[in-house]
Amino acid sequence: MSNYALLNKEQHKDLRIITQRGEAYGDNVMHAMTFALEFRDVQSCYPIFFCKDEQTGGLYPTALFGLEQNHNQFLNEFGWDATYIPLSVRRHPFLIGFQSAPENGEGQKSPVVSLDMDHPRISRAEGEMLFDDKGDPSKFLQTTITTLENIHRGLEHNKGFIAAVLDHELLESFTLDVTLNDGSAHQLQGFYTIAEEKLYKLDGAALGALNANGYLQPIFMAIASFARVRTLIDQKNVLLNG
Amino acid sequence: MNNTINRLVIVGGGTAGWLTAGVIAAEHSCASNDQQNSFELSLVESPDIATIGVGEGTWPSMRSTLQKMGISETEFFRECSASFKQGTLFTGWQTGVGDDSYSHPFTAPHGYAETNLAPYWQPQRDKINFADAVGSQTALFNDKLAPKQITTPEYAFHANYGYHLDAGKFAEFLRKHCVEKLGIKHIKANVTGIKTADNGDIASIETDRHGTISGDLFIDCSGSRALLLGQHYGIPVCDKNDILFNNTALAAQIPYSNDSDPIASCTLSTAQTAGWIWDIGLPTRRGIGHVYSSAHNSEERAAEELLSYIATTAGEQAAAAATLRKVPFSPGHRAKFWHKNCVAVGMSAGFIEPLEASALVLVELSAAMIAEQLPANRGHMDLVAKRFNDKFLYRWDSIIEFLKLHYILTQRNDTDYWRDNCRPASIPESLQEKVALWRHQSPWHRDSHHVDELFPSASFQYILYGMGFETKASHTVRRSDAEAQKVVGRLFQENAARAQQLSGNMPSNRDLIDKIHSYGFQKI
Repeated sequence: MSNYALLNKEQHKDLRIITQRGEAYGDNVMHAMTFALEFRDVQSCYPIFFCKDEQTGGLYPTALFGLEQNHNQFLNEFGWDATYIPLSVRRHPFLIGFQSAPENGEGQKSPVVSLDMDHPRISRAEGEMLFDDKGDPSKFLQTTITTLENIHRGLEHNKGFIAAVLDHELLESFTLDVTLNDGSAHQLQGFYTIAEEKLYKLDGAALGALNANGYLQPIFMAIASFARVRTLIDQKNVLLNG
Repeated sequence: MNNTINRLVIVGGGTAGWLTAGVIAAEHSCASNDQQNSFELSLVESPDIATIGVGEGTWPSMRSTLQKMGISETEFFRECSASFKQGTLFTGWQTGVGDDSYSHPFTAPHGYAETNLAPYWQPQRDKINFADAVGSQTALFNDKLAPKQITTPEYAFHANYGYHLDAGKFAEFLRKHCVEKLGIKHIKANVTGIKTADNGDIASIETDRHGTISGDLFIDCSGSRALLLGQHYGIPVCDKNDILFNNTALAAQIPYSNDSDPIASCTLSTAQTAGWIWDIGLPTRRGIGHVYSSAHNSEERAAEELLSYIATTAGEQAAAAATLRKVPFSPGHRAKFWHKNCVAVGMSAGFIEPLEASALVLVELSAAMIAEQLPANRGHMDLVAKRFNDKFLYRWDSIIEFLKLHYILTQRNDTDYWRDNCRPASIPESLQEKVALWRHQSPWHRDSHHVDELFPSASFQYILYGMGFETKASHTVRRSDAEAQKVVGRLFQENAARAQQLSGNMPSNRDLIDKIHSYGFQKI
C-alpha cells in the first residue's frame, strides 16, 4: 500500500530518488494512464486506448506497453527502450495534491507535492537528490514539479476531453485478437477506441467546438496511434524468437 | 368512418398513464416535438386524486422499455430509489416448516435454447436444488450481490435483471421525462363528463378546468374505477376470486436500521397461513406487505402475521412504529380491454395479487402493442382492437394459471386456505391438464403457443421443481440420451464455474447502488 507524506525540506533533505527504469520499480505494467495533452508524444511510441476506472466506471485514456497483464515490452535490462515515457509513469513516487489556501481567497486550493514513502524508488544511497546543499530544490525536483503540474493540467483537460468524446459518442468498445508467430492467441478486452465513422460524420460546428477546446488534435493523435499496435505485435514476436 | 387516428388522450396519470404515454411517444413523434406531423398525445390527470402507487417490482423488460424512451439508467436509479431485482425467493410455500425455500431467477437455465437440463438434474434432486444446479443467478441473490459492476454499461448486465422502485417517484420521474423530452401534453383537470359520437365512440371528455378535450383514441388509465371502459361503457369485470383467493393487502414501509444495511437483490415472498408477505428492498427503505384472502383470514390476524414478520426481519422497534395501509382489491380483469375507441391499460384493465410482479409488465406490453399497431384510421381500429383483446385475454389467463401453479403444488395442510387452493374445483382445467402432462415430460419450448408467451417454459420449470414436483423418467431408453449426457455434463460444470466466478466478482447490491449515485453508469 501507499504511504504518502507531504514533501518537506527538513525531513526529506537526505532522500534520493532512483530514476532507473525496471520491474523492481513498478514499471512492468501493461498500460498506464495518459493525457490528451501528451498524445502527440505518446502516439509516436504506443497505441492510445481508453479504459474504465474499476472503482468509478469513469473512462480515461491509457497508453499500451504490452499485450498481456504485467508485461511492459519496452522494459529490458538497460531500462525503458522508448523515446517518450508518459507523464503518469514518470511521476512516481510523487503525487500532486491540493490544500485549501484561504489566503488566496474563498475556495482556493494550492497544489502540494506528496511522495509515497514506501515506493521502491525512494532511497538514501543512490539516485537523484531532492534538495541541494543549501536546501533549495534540486534541478531534478524542479523538473519533477513541472511534470506534476503538467499532470494536473492534463487531468483537468482530460475531464473535458472525455466528456466531449462521450457526448459525441466517439468512443466504442473493441476487442483485439492477436495471434503471434508461435501460434499463441491473445485477446485484449475492456478497451475502447475512437469511433472513426462517427467522427467523420460530425458537422463543421461540432468539429469547430472540439477544435476550440483543444480536443480535435488528440482525437486524431489517438487514431494515428493505432498503427503502434503493429509495433507491439512485432516486438512480441521478436521477444518470442529471442 | 375513415378518419385518421391522430389525437390520443390518456385519462389518468399514475405509473400506468405515464408509462403508456412514454412508450407510445417513444415510437411516435409528437406534434409539439416535430412541427411536420399532427400526431398529438395528451394526458389528463386529476389534480385531486392521489395515485395508488402499487407495483414496486418490474420484469427485465423494463430495461428496454426505459431505454427506448431515451431515459438514462443512472437518472432512473437516482430519482426513483431504484434497486436491482434478479428474481424472487419463495419461502414457506412448499411445507411451511424449516428451511423451505426456492428461487425463480430471471435467467433461464444454462444452455436452455438447446438443452433441457431438467431430466438430468432429477436424479440429483436430493443433493442440489434445481435453480442452483441449472443457473448461476441464485448465487448472486443469495448473497445480496448486484447483477453487474460499475464498469458495465447502462442497461447491460452480467446476470439478467429488472428493478425494484418507488412507484410514486417513478410516476413523477416518467411525467417529467414525458413532458420535457417526449412532447406529451399534460392537462391537469378532473373529468366531469363524456360526450358520445353517433357510432358510440367517445367523441370527447368534459373537464372542470380545461373544457372539452376531443380525441380519436382514448386510453383509460384511471385505475380500478375504470372511468371510461368500466363506468362509461359498462364492460364487466371477470372475477377470478374463485381461483386466486387473495383480495386484500396490508402494506407498510420499513426503514433500514442502518444506512449501510444490505439490500436484497430479489423479491422475498414468504408464505403465511392464508396468504403471503412481500418484502422489497429499496435503497431508502423496505416495502413490506401482506396479501391475503379475507375469506380465510381476519384483518387482525393478517396484521399480526405481518408485524411478526417485520419484528423478525427488522426488529421489534420497526414493528412497533409500522403504519399499515389496507388495500382491498377484487382479483380479475375486464371482459374485454378495447371497446369502440377506448382501451384500458393498468388497473382499469384488471388487477391480481403481485406474486409475479405482473402489473407493470402488463402496462408495458399493452402500451407497446398500442404503439406498434397504432390504428391508422377508425376502420383499422376495430381490427387492432380484436387482436388486442384476444392477446390480452390469453395473457390474463396465462398469468392466472401461472400464479395458481404456485399454490397447487404445496404440501401445506395447516389451514383451509392451503387445502382450498389444492381443491380441483379452484384449479382451471387447462392447468390441471398441464400438471398431469408434466408428470411425464418437463415443461419445454414446445409448450409455448405464442412467440411472445408471458411466462416461458423455464419459469414453469423453476416453480415446479422448486416446489418439489417430480417428472417421471422416460419409460424407454432414448437413443439421444448418450449424446446428451456429454453436453449436459459440460453444461453443469460450466454453470458451477460461472456461479463461482460471478459471486467472486459482483459487488454488493448496496455498494453498486451507492456508486451509481456517486458516479453513474457509462453509456458504453
